[in-house]
This record gives sequence, structure tokens and C-alpha cells, in this order.
Amino acid sequence: MFPSTTRSLIGASKRLWAPIPIRSLSTSSQSSAPSSEKAATTPQAKPETTATPVAPPTAEQPSELPVKEWSDRLGAFGEHARLPRSVQALYLRPLRRKAEHGLPVCDLQLRSYSVQNLEFFADFAIRAAYYLNLPVSGPVPLPRITERWTVTRSNFVHKKSKENFERITLRRLIQIKDGNPQAVEAWLAFLRKHAFYGVGMKANVWENESLDAGKALDASLPEVQKTVGPHLARFGQRQDSSVKETIFDSLDSERFAEPKNL
Amino acid sequence: MSKVASMFHPKRLDLSGFVNTRLIRDHNKRNAFAQMEPERQALRYIIRNTSLPQRTRAQAQLQLSQMHCYTRPTQIKNRCVASGTARSVFRNFRLNRFQFRMQALAGELPGVKKASW
Repeated sequence: MFPSTTRSLIGASKRLWAPIPIRSLSTSSQSSAPSSEKAATTPQAKPETTATPVAPPTAEQPSELPVKEWSDRLGAFGEHARLPRSVQALYLRPLRRKAEHGLPVCDLQLRSYSVQNLEFFADFAIRAAYYLNLPVSGPVPLPRITERWTVTRSNFVHKKSKENFERITLRRLIQIKDGNPQAVEAWLAFLRKHAFYGVGMKANVWENESLDAGKALDASLPEVQKTVGPHLARFGQRQDSSVKETIFDSLDSERFAEPKNL
Repeated sequence: MSKVASMFHPKRLDLSGFVNTRLIRDHNKRNAFAQMEPERQALRYIIRNTSLPQRTRAQAQLQLSQMHCYTRPTQIKNRCVASGTARSVFRNFRLNRFQFRMQALAGELPGVKKASW
């Protein structure tokens, strides 16, 4: 019975993606409390095998073990050997903030050729948004972009034998609703810093102004003039320019007046 | 303006990867066009501007027609970067159809797979 439990544990570690804490747990169960482990698993496993008469009882036993929910499994670790909360959270669905007004602030589009990379990074982005206090909706799967090419197989003649190639771009849309613009910027910068290979990002950011935007512009005018001043000072005619006449003289001159007479 | 193509040749070969005489020539044409484009656009503007005197416009026409042929955008032709071929070059990959197939089968083009539907 004991090897069967270890095999099931190995299987669990494969599904977990984080084999190190699980391995330490299995070793501890071998050394300290193997009897309790057996007692816990056997009564669950036996009724299952008896209930399903199709499966052979001995060989198929480990695969017939009931698969528990993640919350149960994590709870079964006990208080002394539980994972850190942040690591536990990875096995659960990402947490989300609730949007108050539902005003869209940022649209992030992720693109990739592979589903795994895309799903992983979308999940990462949503988790990051939660910790930055940004309400998120998505990931919305947008229509795939399929490009196809038909190519002659040979480099010369044989026109009738062809080969098809395709490239499918997968897209996900993540929308941020009524978040602080600075937090949105920080979120985008964070995603850029931890950009995942093979995943492209494109963001549309909207900023909302109060209705007194014109007054605010007027108030900021003197500062803008100060910064623009040195650049504007460079414009104009040179003091020592040889041309004495103004622009109106040249406009009234014969050369410019000529086509008007036509 | 002297009509010698060598005036557009760089002192040193500024291409890497697959190199071909025709590929180099096309590259020189692209450089020449990029270099002379403002001048061409100015002349084209003068020619089309009806408010300018006829004489100026005729002079501009002459000047534009006397510019070197390498400065014309119509001289530029897309060529395969892996083989230098000028026919059936895909814009997306800048590759000839055969080079595209070889590289796609080798898995060198990200996302491109054999399709069947």
C-alpha cells in the first residue's frame, strides 16, 4: 500500500508545478507519520475500488484515488507544514477587486502564438493588478488572427504540388476599470519589466479630466511660456540680413502677381 | 549631375548575411532614395503648385527628370534576404517562397506551422 501512496504523491507534485515543498512533505511522512498517512488514505481508496467493478483492483489503484480539490489538499498539509499564503494563492483562482463605477481606464491586449504562454501571462497580469488595487475584467479571448500561405513545394516547376502553412495569433484582452492612473502606469511598467517570452503587449490608456480642463490649461500657461520661451527666441529674421523688404513687398512683386493675371 | 551609379556606392559594404550583386544594388538604390527624397518631394511640390510661375515649374520638371534613376522609388524592388531572389517574396518575412518553406519546416519562423483543415 505504501508505494501506491508515494506514487500518488509524485503525481500530485507533477500537477503542482512546485515540487520542492511537496517533496519535503513526502519525506516527512515517510519518516515521522507513515501510519497516520495510511490510515487517512486507505478508507477513502477502498470504497472507490469496490464501487467501480470495471477497473482491476490491484494495478489501477493509484489512478483510482479520488482527486481532491486544491483547497482540501492544501488544508490537509496541516498547520505545521503549510505553504506560504502567497504560494497557496497560486493554486487558487486570482483574486479581484470590485469596480466601483465601471469606467474603463486601460485596455491591455496580449498576443502570442502559444496558448500556454498567453494564459500564464494573462493570469500573472491579473494577479499583479489585484496587488496594485486595480479592478480588472478579463481575460477576454478575442478572435484569433489566422494567416495562411500556400507555397509550391519545389523551388522549380511542379506547380501542382503545394504545401499549406498557417500562423495563428491568439489574443487576450484585459481591461482595467476606474483605477488610479499612476497605479495603471506602475502596473504597465511592471508587466513590461517582467515581460514573458513570446507574448506581445499593447495597451490603450485613457485619462479622465474634470470639466474645468480649460481653466487648468489657462492656469498652466505661464509655466509653459517659460519653457517654450528660449525656443521661440530663436525664430525671426537675422539682424544683419541683406533683405530689407517685408514679406508683403515680395508677395506684391511681379513674380508672385504673375499667375493671378492668367 | 553626373549620371554614375558609383556615386551611391558606400566606401565599405554595409550589408551582412546573404550578399549578392543584385541585393547590393537594390540596397544602394534604397539608400539613394532615402537620401534624395526631400529634394524630390520639393521639386514635385513646385511642379504641382499652380500658384507658382510657369517658368519655375518647368525648371523643376527638368531638374526632377534629370535626377539619377537610383533616386526614384520605383527602382526599389523587394528581394529575399536569404537568397536574393526577386520573385514571390513575402513581405511579412522578407523571404522567397522556397526559403519561407524551408525555414518554416525547420521551425525558424515563430508561430508558422504546417496547416491542414
